[in-house]
Amino acid sequence: MNPYNIREALLAKHAQHVVLIHFPVALFLVGVAFDFVAYFTKRSALAAAAYYNFVVAAISSLPVVATGLLAWQLQLDGQKLKGILLQHLVLGITSCVMICLTWYVHFRSRRSSQQTSHRFRLPLELVAAGVIALTAHLGGYLTGVNLPS
Amino acid sequence: MRRWKTTKDSAANVFRIAILATATFSLLPASGALGRRSVATAEEKGKTNAVTIDNFSFAPMQLEIPAGTQVTWINKDDVPHTVVSMDHKFKSRALDTDESFSFTFQTPGAYEYFCSVHPKMTGKIVVK
Repeated sequence: MNPYNIREALLAKHAQHVVLIHFPVALFLVGVAFDFVAYFTKRSALAAAAYYNFVVAAISSLPVVATGLLAWQLQLDGQKLKGILLQHLVLGITSCVMICLTWYVHFRSRRSSQQTSHRFRLPLELVAAGVIALTAHLGGYLTGVNLPS
Repeated sequence: MRRWKTTKDSAANVFRIAILATATFSLLPASGALGRRSVATAEEKGKTNAVTIDNFSFAPMQLEIPAGTQVTWINKDDVPHTVVSMDHKFKSRALDTDESFSFTFQTPGAYEYFCSVHPKMTGKIVVK
């Protein structure tokens, strides 16, 4: 396989899911870190940075879910899932919903200029980060990247 | 009279050690590769026609069988795998731990297959 052949790269046997997943995960986790630091240091620039991280994380999570579902339909013929595959699917969709929910909470907070939503916003971000970490762990386990060499 | 080692002698020794080390380390991966790329025949294994899926690989990677033989793949890994023919002659569902898939090879030829979840996992059945 030629690494510079665009057609081969895009239509490779593996789904693009494993490539795209890194974007929302990284953006969201960095956004959570920014938001926590912004909360404790009262830096508005960091809060703004966190918000835009969440915006892009929410947008980039949609193709990840789409390619994950496509991989299920195309590579496994949409068969009834069980075990780790089912757990990864459920947690993946939950992660996407939580990323979008976090963005929405920030969006509402910015529109109403209220800063009182921290009480449930930060715990929501922590729970979302935990769910994402678990989903990513199962994804890594499925792909075998954490296989001992 | 004692002859002191010269810089030239030391250089020669270092050169010899380097040659020996290079030869040793070049042979190590080769022996490992031979071990990994296993080929088995149904006759050798006493009509054994099972392929074990373990540690993200098919074992044996290549199996030679007579026509009309049924081959069974058993997943011994903790993660699901599939068995999919390159030319779409056979395709299993996702096999969980200890689940198996069987296919009977009627026509002689070489059948290459892979795991659709982990495309780097490949194997070959040679039907004679």
